[in-house]
Amino acid sequence: MDVEFDGVQVERDNRRVLDIPALRLRNGRTTAILGPNGSGKTTLLRLIAGLEHPRSGQVRFAGSPRPPVAYVFQEEVFLRRSVRENLELGLRLRGVAIAEARARVDDAAARLGISHLMHRRADHLSGGEGRRVNLARALALRSPLVLLDEPLEGLDEHTHSRLLDELPQLLAEFDATTLLVTHNRDEALRLAQDLVVLVDGRVRAAGDKREVAMNPSVVEVAEVLGYSVLASNGHRVAVPPGGLRPGAGPIEFSVVVEDVLDIVESYQVVGRVGDVRVHVEVPFMSALPRRGERMVVHATRSSEIA
Amino acid sequence: MTGPLITPLTADTIAISLTRRALVTLVTVLVLAALTHARAGRPVTQASIILATTTSTQDSGLLDVLVPRFEKERGIKIKVIAVGSGAALRMASRGDADVVLVHAPSAERPYVEAGDLVEGRAVMHNDFVIVGPKQDPAGIGSLASVNLVMRALAARATFVSRGDDSGTHAQELTLWAAARIDPRSIARREETGQGMGATLNVADQRRAYTLTDRGTYLSLRRRLELVILFQGDASLRNQYHVYAVNPSKNPRIQRDAARSFISFLVSQPVQQAIADFKRDEYGESLFFPDALPQ
Amino acid sequence: MSELLASIALRTVVVSGVATALAVLVGVPAGYAIARRSFRGRTILLGLINTGMGMPPVVVGLVVWLLLVRSGPFGDLDLIYTQRAMVLAQFLIATPIVIGFTTASFQALSPRLPDLLVVLGAGRMRRLWLLAREARLGLLVAIMAAFGAIVSEVGASMIAGGNLERSTRVLTTAIVTETSRGEVERALSLGLVLLVMSFVVNLSLTVIQQRSRA
Repeated sequence: MDVEFDGVQVERDNRRVLDIPALRLRNGRTTAILGPNGSGKTTLLRLIAGLEHPRSGQVRFAGSPRPPVAYVFQEEVFLRRSVRENLELGLRLRGVAIAEARARVDDAAARLGISHLMHRRADHLSGGEGRRVNLARALALRSPLVLLDEPLEGLDEHTHSRLLDELPQLLAEFDATTLLVTHNRDEALRLAQDLVVLVDGRVRAAGDKREVAMNPSVVEVAEVLGYSVLASNGHRVAVPPGGLRPGAGPIEFSVVVEDVLDIVESYQVVGRVGDVRVHVEVPFMSALPRRGERMVVHATRSSEIA
Repeated sequence: MTGPLITPLTADTIAISLTRRALVTLVTVLVLAALTHARAGRPVTQASIILATTTSTQDSGLLDVLVPRFEKERGIKIKVIAVGSGAALRMASRGDADVVLVHAPSAERPYVEAGDLVEGRAVMHNDFVIVGPKQDPAGIGSLASVNLVMRALAARATFVSRGDDSGTHAQELTLWAAARIDPRSIARREETGQGMGATLNVADQRRAYTLTDRGTYLSLRRRLELVILFQGDASLRNQYHVYAVNPSKNPRIQRDAARSFISFLVSQPVQQAIADFKRDEYGESLFFPDALPQ
Repeated sequence: MSELLASIALRTVVVSGVATALAVLVGVPAGYAIARRSFRGRTILLGLINTGMGMPPVVVGLVVWLLLVRSGPFGDLDLIYTQRAMVLAQFLIATPIVIGFTTASFQALSPRLPDLLVVLGAGRMRRLWLLAREARLGLLVAIMAAFGAIVSEVGASMIAGGNLERSTRVLTTAIVTETSRGEVERALSLGLVLLVMSFVVNLSLTVIQQRSRA
């Protein structure tokens, strides 16, 4: 179902942590909540899960009371029992019969590839295995509302990329309104359909990811999305990562070179345009600038900033 | 954010140290057991004697007057060990004391006959009284003979006994025996195993009856709601004797110093001091000297 | 003699057992509540509890005596020098110990665990139960530490109970009595029983702690 925020304000230690006059998370879609650390993303999730309560305003769930929520925590959180017992706990607490619970858990475990871990102690698993159990738990619950808090955080490269590949399909199978909190732009764009950009407790952009991520027009949103915001001809433009190339062009900048890094397949020039640090990729065989020199670059893509 | 001082790690440490402590205690107890059976040795550097006496004698405060006087007049130090009469007599038989001042004639007799205690003199006497709650629920205040009183107590009263082998305890057992009552068979009789003061407190708080020496009762009367309900019978007389411990019991026994203490106690001025002890405070004598010419 | 020993030992276990049970009933939920949420003054409260844990038991006994004695505020209850007075004193000694250990045990649990249980749909009682199961080793330590402390305590039991032979004499106070009478063998027998009791408790404690490491 839709999740609606209405005049929601959350305070902690006399600090305004969330201030959301209006927000709608659309039914059946995966929405990524993107923002820097400390922007209030986790608080937003906890609000929806009912773990925290707003000082004013309310969170509405399509007119009905809060539905059961499947919350995939950032850390692995388990009881000191077997994986199977941990997976079945949520179902048993919701009154699902033993046989049905067992079947659902077996299915979810098979889907996440952890059937061989069922009898292991849940708190003795590796990071990747633990995350899979977390996800299996959410899958088995079949809640209409699924919340994931930085599900790929802190994993090693290999596990991270494997899970990242598996997640889109998995999220589709949840068949629920899914919220995904992340500070990683790639993850957000890969896994979600809708995007909400949260900065300092305020929603700066919300909507279909294409609308939000293409051509951002607000500085904070652009920065969250990894754009460099540069001054050009009296106004500002946002250039996506990798959007600067050496040489002249219609939208041109002068980069003060600070460093030239050999990154094997090419070179990366690290420099500044004004106060803003930029990275420019320079093909392997070209002439390299030297530190302290100025280099002309142009933007291949950009959008205007208000 | 701070937590309590007992973290799980500290809990582990405590658990282990508790076990360790238990083992240390076990070893210590065994060692102490062995030591208590060894002869108590005393350094013989200056003339000093050990006086074994009872807690009630100590509690009466009489020794606080007599002991400094003796030490000053005769130049001999006294160490006072106050325990129950039974324990004091046993100390004597082991040779752990030089002089003994007790008030349990029936318990003393076997030791005198066995020769453990010699040169005994009667020093003073006082009496026991039976005290109880003002309301006297067992109705002993109107009874005439001690046997009737004991039977009434056995039948109707809550009775608190010292139960500590003291002179008072011995006296109480003698009274039960004379009335042909087995104290173990009395339903509401409790033993505190403690001194007279503590026993009076218990009796006071539980509104029970008890046997007490007059002296301790008088000194505590202000704080108690108990009153004297029976007194005066000959069987309630409490006789104090002083003895020297047979020197052959232990080569370290100070025979001459012991004799000096005995002669001190029965000397006229000291006997008079005994009679005068706290008489002003209570309006009556606590102790009645036995060696004054009448 | 052995009959007396048995009855004193039994009484010791019953009195201290009841006191421990009551301390657990009060202390575990209290420890859970303190561990669960932070509130103003929590640090002070924990400080008080730690003070309670370090409080000389004999002082507790004195306080209980002052409260229950006839001239005291609760004198009319006629509880002084009874087993119930001893249970009260031992309960007051044991409860801070239980709370202290329990709070530590719950705090050692993953902080997200209560959240997880809420989200999975467990009600308040269910949560306490599940978390207590998670922390059960720590709770067991709490129980045994409390029992061990009060069963080996002599001052409060003596003062509040009066050491009455048939009703309030326990192992510790009996040892004092027999020793002051010079009855060394009896005192040692009592001491041995108490030592074994204490040793069994502490050994179990150590075994549990070691096993939880595995």
